[in-house]
Amino acid sequence: MFLLLPFDSLIVNLLGISLTVLFTLLLVFIIVPAVFGVSFGIRKLYMKTLLKIFAWATLRMERGAKEKNHQLYKPYTNGIIAKDPTSLEEEIKEIRQSGSNKALDKTPEFELSDIFYFCRKGMETIMDDEVTKRFSAEELESWNLLSRTNYNFQYISLRLTILWGLGVLIRYCFLLPLRIALAFTGISLLVVGTTMVGYLPNGRFKEFLSKHVHLMCYRICVRALTAIITYHNRKNRPRNGGICVANHTSPIDVIILASDGYYAMVGQVHGGLMGVIQRAMVKACPHVWFERSEVKDRHLVAKRLTEHVQDKSKLPILIFPEGTCINNTSVMMFKKGSFEIGATVYPVAIKYDPQFGDAFWNSSKYGMVTYLLRMMTSWAIVCSVWYLPPMTREKDEDAVQFANRVKSAIARQGGLVDLLWDGGLKREKVKDTFKEEQQKLYSKMIVGNHEDRSRS
Amino acid sequence: MGATHSASEEVRELEGKTGFSSDQIEQLHRRFKQLSGDQPTIRKENFNNVPDLELNPIRSKIVRAFFDNRNLRKGPSGLADEINFEDFLTIMSYFRPIDTTLGEEQVELSRKEKLRFLFHMYDSDSDGRITLEEYRNVVEELLSGNPHIEKESARSIADGAMMEAASVCVGQMEPDQVYEGITFEDFLKIWQGIDIETKMHVRFLNMETIALCH
Repeated sequence: MFLLLPFDSLIVNLLGISLTVLFTLLLVFIIVPAVFGVSFGIRKLYMKTLLKIFAWATLRMERGAKEKNHQLYKPYTNGIIAKDPTSLEEEIKEIRQSGSNKALDKTPEFELSDIFYFCRKGMETIMDDEVTKRFSAEELESWNLLSRTNYNFQYISLRLTILWGLGVLIRYCFLLPLRIALAFTGISLLVVGTTMVGYLPNGRFKEFLSKHVHLMCYRICVRALTAIITYHNRKNRPRNGGICVANHTSPIDVIILASDGYYAMVGQVHGGLMGVIQRAMVKACPHVWFERSEVKDRHLVAKRLTEHVQDKSKLPILIFPEGTCINNTSVMMFKKGSFEIGATVYPVAIKYDPQFGDAFWNSSKYGMVTYLLRMMTSWAIVCSVWYLPPMTREKDEDAVQFANRVKSAIARQGGLVDLLWDGGLKREKVKDTFKEEQQKLYSKMIVGNHEDRSRS
Repeated sequence: MGATHSASEEVRELEGKTGFSSDQIEQLHRRFKQLSGDQPTIRKENFNNVPDLELNPIRSKIVRAFFDNRNLRKGPSGLADEINFEDFLTIMSYFRPIDTTLGEEQVELSRKEKLRFLFHMYDSDSDGRITLEEYRNVVEELLSGNPHIEKESARSIADGAMMEAASVCVGQMEPDQVYEGITFEDFLKIWQGIDIETKMHVRFLNMETIALCH
């Protein structure tokens, strides 16, 4: 029994030493650079290594599959139906003309065949529709050694399985605790830092300090997610008195944008940890937090935002007009509220590279904590941020047209599909005004003919 | 689906019954799961999740067609409460392109099946005739989106169209003869010689030609 004692203390010593070493490494390589905003380039090196490994893995699978004569890639599944781009009128005329026993100059008013068009269109949408596709995660074309993205790959050899196992070990036992430690550090520094800055009297020193506390903590959080971000066109960054709008894929978007610029946040007051963070942040600089009851009142929201924007000493507001998280293959309809205020709009496009980790938050499938765990056990989060030149509303444009113009610019820059549909369709049904459009078009055709005939 | 062995047997069985290829069946199965929320059956409410369908003026008739016992080949009338994947495929198979290589009899049969599907859409009370009321109902639904059309115009359009259909089927009618309704034979007569097949099918992409190119 006595032999165990020195053995025990040896283990304790080893543990103590390794923890100290780890902590020092953490401090030197991650936290200190974050504080000063410099980078050693470790993350970029990491990314390059990972890419090489993924390419090797995919090559191995292809070779293995060829040897065994298996089919490696499932057919491209972006849609199964060839949809014709003809309009409603053309198609119905075609259908009617194929009824050859009617003279072509007499346009019949209504025919049994008109129902064909709508019937077929209905069937096509039941089989495959544009909107629902946007709310499920994007499918990858090469495997990134995460089993959660293994939709398309069926053939995996022993070597690859070992590699995958190694990957799991690294991600869960090394990267995850590291990231959690960093996240913890980042958030607590944010809360403590902003509260302390809040005690200072208002003035330039307070602003300076507040800006740097915010930036520093966001940079630590960025490293906590191993996010490798490339910023383009930084000269177009938002200025005071403007509104920054961006497309929304996940809650991480906030951290990504805020680590490169100093913004005023807009949002609902939450309880719990989020609430603590929000209350601390607002002590250091004026963010715009709304009570749950105030969110419904659009005029109140617009008024507060306008007041904030008109005060030139206040920071640019950060807003995500889609209203919900989209899977980063397209941009959905922007809600017009933020475009009615009349301030300069600075559009920002964010595009994630899904090869390293899918950042899309499918809130109907995963809660916030599950989502964050998934993020922290992915390899990395790689994204590009483009700052677009500022836009203002023109004299003859209304808010909706302005919103659409901004949306197209963002979609074009980020290489995303520009959809007319409303992100709210994730949870609600189509608005009645949209439903009536097609019906109006068809009935105009029929009634137009009817009236012509009765007049002649 | 269960173990891979029985799954491919199921797929082969479905291939035989409905005529879809195994790739298409797999695709449609994914779509089925998406619509049903991973349940084994679909109910009418599940079709509310397709936003594009809301734009269609006859969506209620289309959704109804999925549950119609006559289309499901389960009985002469009535509606099922829920359908499973095989039923889903049966309805979808009405919209497959007609395989012209199968021989004239088969082609004629497929054509009749498609027209019968349409006939069932019009004939909502399953009595085998499309009456004036049912016809009016369809026209009203098709024109329902436009608030400026009064019911009277919709009615007169329907009446006019019905008259034309009657003239094709029965020839000249006596002034006091009542036209009971369009039977399925009359319906077929209207479409004789007219190529409706190209309009009554959904063009599936040929899966083999769209392999990934790396």
